[in-house]
Amino acid sequence: MRLTFFQRDTDTVNRLIPLLSCLAALVLSVVPLHVPGLAVVTPAFALMAVYHWTVYRPDLLSPSGLFVLGVALDLLGGTPYLGVSALTFLATRSLVLLGRRRAVNRPFAIVWAGFLVIAAFAIGLQWAITSAASMSALSPRPFIFQAVVTVAAYPIADYLLAQLQRGLLRRV
Amino acid sequence: MRERSDLFVRINASRVIAQRLAVPFLVVVSLLLIGIGKADLIVVERARVAVSDLMAPILAALASPAASVASGVRHVEGLFSLYDENQRLREDNDRLMRWQAVARRLALENAQLRALTHYRPRDASVEIAAQVIANSGGAFARNVLVDAGARDGVARGQAGMTGEGLIGRVAEVGERTARILLLSDLNSRIPVVVGASGQHAILAGDNSAEPLLLFLPAGSNVKVGDRVVTGGAQGVFPPDLPVGTVASIDGDTVRVAPSAELARLDYVRIVDLGLSAFLPRPLVPSR
Repeated sequence: MRLTFFQRDTDTVNRLIPLLSCLAALVLSVVPLHVPGLAVVTPAFALMAVYHWTVYRPDLLSPSGLFVLGVALDLLGGTPYLGVSALTFLATRSLVLLGRRRAVNRPFAIVWAGFLVIAAFAIGLQWAITSAASMSALSPRPFIFQAVVTVAAYPIADYLLAQLQRGLLRRV
Repeated sequence: MRERSDLFVRINASRVIAQRLAVPFLVVVSLLLIGIGKADLIVVERARVAVSDLMAPILAALASPAASVASGVRHVEGLFSLYDENQRLREDNDRLMRWQAVARRLALENAQLRALTHYRPRDASVEIAAQVIANSGGAFARNVLVDAGARDGVARGQAGMTGEGLIGRVAEVGERTARILLLSDLNSRIPVVVGASGQHAILAGDNSAEPLLLFLPAGSNVKVGDRVVTGGAQGVFPPDLPVGTVASIDGDTVRVAPSAELARLDYVRIVDLGLSAFLPRPLVPSR
């Protein structure tokens, strides 16, 4: 099938949707949401988007895209160690690719259970890296709290991203 | 034709190799970045400031509706607790009226004593109002980004406050944004004075809601409920700003509950004392 110029153009834009939605998730995670109890530690929205796209469309979210995303998140969040989020996203991607066949075309509960494992791994990794980099064992409580709220909020994020996927990525 | 497909295969093969190597390469770069962050290079700070300044308009545009939704929710919450609130305010008012009498008497006494000793007051403090447009959100850092920067007179080391008390100090300054390191951040160290006896200590964050008091002199009689104020041992930091109260004492571990609600920051004031001579342009003094 030959595509017209315009179609090819919209395809290029559509192919950027995973990365753009990850960027939106990233901005959302630093904007003060004023949700009581969530103000200090917000759910890891970017991690949800990274997981979703790596499970359903890994071809549209490249490792270099994830790297840029991670560095942007660390710069914007003012975290002391640049690269922690980039490393986490890359490790998450590798781990998801190992097991994604078990999640695609299966009930949502399985995708969610997969995210539980991934979120625990990713946030645990962040705790380990920052503890190692600051040379002190950080209190794991905020990390555990973040993992719990992130897993709890995942169904909403998954629903929104799935709508985006259905609406815009049908042809890509 | 055959040549072309050979070429195609070769291009494809090199692309596959590049893809295989991309992840390990990027992992190494990430690790290097973590090392660079640890070295605390000025480049990293510049990059952070540049990204913050660049994103400031977007963040500010998003922060305002988020804040108004939150204030709407609080408004509705308030309607349900009107009676209790009223009762509490009556009690508060009663208590504060008594304090007012005390304050008037002390102000008079103070004025008389100053006149006696020919006391010259310190420079008036400079205050800059700013809105919080982003917070770190992650589990390993506690800071907020505000929409005032160098062009508004914000400088590194100034104190960030709310009406209740100190929230932290300005750690990074961009042209139109500044990042305030909160009291609770792992890297926050603020000289403070504890209790009526005025013992010096360092307030150190550990990412929990209640920072620790370090370097209290041995045998100090700090009690739960003691007031903690800034020490002002460093020139830039204004002394005697309210910080919080001692919340718990467990052996050597003394924790302080900050007076300001660090989890709910909308608008903050950035206070500067004594540096007004170095500021780029005259600002409105607080008094």
